[in-house]
Amino acid sequence: MYPDRKGYFGRYGGRFVPETLIPALEQMEKSYLELKEDEKFNVELNDILKNYVGRPSPLYFAERLTSFLGGAKIFLKREDLNHTGSHKINNTMGQALLAKYMGKERLIAETGAGQHGVATATAAAVLGLKCTVYMGAKDAERQRLNVFRMKMLGAEVVEVKKGSQTLKDASNEAFRDFIRSFECSHMVIGSVVGPHPYPMMVRDFQSVIGKEVKTQFKELTGKMPDYILACVGGGSNAMGIFYPFLDDAVKLIGVEAGGISLEPGKHCATLSSGKEGVLHGALSRVLQDEKGQISPTHSVSAGLDYPGVGPEHAFLKETGRVNYVNVSDKEALYAFHLLSRLEGIIPALESAHAVAYTLKIAPGLSEEECLVINLSGRGDKDVEQVAGLKEV
Amino acid sequence: MSQLRERLNGLKKSGEMGVIAFIMSFLPDKKLCLECIKALEQGGCDVLELGMPFSDPLADGEMIEKFHHRCVEKGLSLKEGMEFAFEVRKTVSMPLVIFTYFNPVYNMGIPEFRQALEHTGAEAVIVPDLPLEELTRLTEYGLDVIPMIAPSSPQERIKEADKLNPAFIYCVSVRGTTGMQVLPEEEIKDYLLQVKSSTSSPLALGFGISSPEQVRVFKGYADAVVIGSLLASIIEEYEAKPELLPGEIERTIRNFKKAGLSF
Ligand SMILES: Cc1ncc(COP(=O)(O)O)c(C=O)c1O
Repeated sequence: MYPDRKGYFGRYGGRFVPETLIPALEQMEKSYLELKEDEKFNVELNDILKNYVGRPSPLYFAERLTSFLGGAKIFLKREDLNHTGSHKINNTMGQALLAKYMGKERLIAETGAGQHGVATATAAAVLGLKCTVYMGAKDAERQRLNVFRMKMLGAEVVEVKKGSQTLKDASNEAFRDFIRSFECSHMVIGSVVGPHPYPMMVRDFQSVIGKEVKTQFKELTGKMPDYILACVGGGSNAMGIFYPFLDDAVKLIGVEAGGISLEPGKHCATLSSGKEGVLHGALSRVLQDEKGQISPTHSVSAGLDYPGVGPEHAFLKETGRVNYVNVSDKEALYAFHLLSRLEGIIPALESAHAVAYTLKIAPGLSEEECLVINLSGRGDKDVEQVAGLKEV
Repeated sequence: MSQLRERLNGLKKSGEMGVIAFIMSFLPDKKLCLECIKALEQGGCDVLELGMPFSDPLADGEMIEKFHHRCVEKGLSLKEGMEFAFEVRKTVSMPLVIFTYFNPVYNMGIPEFRQALEHTGAEAVIVPDLPLEELTRLTEYGLDVIPMIAPSSPQERIKEADKLNPAFIYCVSVRGTTGMQVLPEEEIKDYLLQVKSSTSSPLALGFGISSPEQVRVFKGYADAVVIGSLLASIIEEYEAKPELLPGEIERTIRNFKKAGLSF
């Protein structure tokens, strides 16, 4: 069972935060472990997931994409159909409810693409909590629609103009806020990153995705899928769909953002190119220079534009259980357009990375083989950005 | 006994409130930074806490974060910082402590870091993003670490810190990052008394200490104060008038020292 008592997945994980925060994390872990077994909490959360989020999300057979590629059968797990448009809401509703049970009045979140920010602002609105979201100024520019949405939902949005002006610096500011305010606030981390218990907790809340796939796939075909693919930023949608299949004979593939090229600063392929290091509270793989300074990153997709990755992914790479690959901005954009035209589904640019890798492998597989892509979000937020790119 | 321990124990015994100065390496530039450090010693500073730059200094507020970023932008890192510390050691004789985030240390390798530390003559290290559980990563290589304790720390964690037999315990005076306003006086006093009841190690109070008045208030409760953001803001203010900077630093330290004298 991972993580161990100290929050480690093998060598990775742990708690690397200022001493000030330790009591807050210990309290959070204790509350979470209690509530996880608490009937009232689970009934309430399941009701929210069903009637508010819209779960279970469908598992859709992408027939036209399948015949276009002429190989394995391709299924899409439609997290894009969730309320607010991505998988992020599975986690924010869970954590917001936890915060409420712990008696906190306010939520703090960091956000890259804005999907996690919107999902947190939504959870805060529906549960009657205050909300502050930190967002890098560069991300706020390229995901403007989500900034408006968060504000409409009643959240305070703080644009961070420091450092890289993306998710990394937004996370720094969110942590600083949390260090100041943990007595009345809960920080809703949006991926399987951060100090223990976050990687475990976020994985558990997201694993509803994989559990549903297991049941749905069995109903549809009577067997297990052969492949499951998901994009990996921090890694929450991937962990969520992989986790229930870790002990099954299913090939798991995590797709990172290869950006423009694999030169330093031009991508976010943390598991391929990163070194062991500590960022935002956990020991994991980190993109860093030879001196241990965190590297600048690039991805066309704001939600993948991050130099770190969840510790459990670092562990699963090391054990070889999951295969991690990457695709370029260009390949992701091609997949974005292809899925839109063939299936009438505009994917989030993040999810388009998982589609892009599918385009590479599906034609080489047999028609008997089945492949599930976690379509983690919808692309409405990306339409303006993509329309502005020359490739259209 | 190390010079650092001797100094802190001396302060504890005398009841005088010592002054520990946090200075970021290299700023505003190498030469002027050394001048400032000399001025600290002239002003009577007891311990120098020399900062190593990091791109993502989570425990620091805006003022010191800016200094980290300025260094990183110049391509300066832990390795250069340790070389600078070696020069500092040759220039002044006050005890030296290194302040660094963990990632650069982990990247360098802990045995290598230990070697570099020994070479500089620094006597201990403060790593703000390593909580007590993780300090063994350094102590198992024989490094002397300064543990941090916060107002939120329960008694058993203070006892954990005490077990390390540190040269001093760094008591954070805010619920937050460096540069923030300290908690109400009475709350800090209670907190320091609580820490004191679990350890005989000397105590340094830091984060947000900005006036000699605070030294007077907390004298007898802690054995030293750490000043950091205040010095950073002086350095920034006087950058355009570099000839006045060392004098201003010296005057500031002198005022703090004066406030801390026992009568
Ligand atoms: C739709 C979508 N997918 C994926 C991600 C990446 O996050 P993770 O790797 O945690 O799933 C994001 C992040 O913003 C997102 O919005």
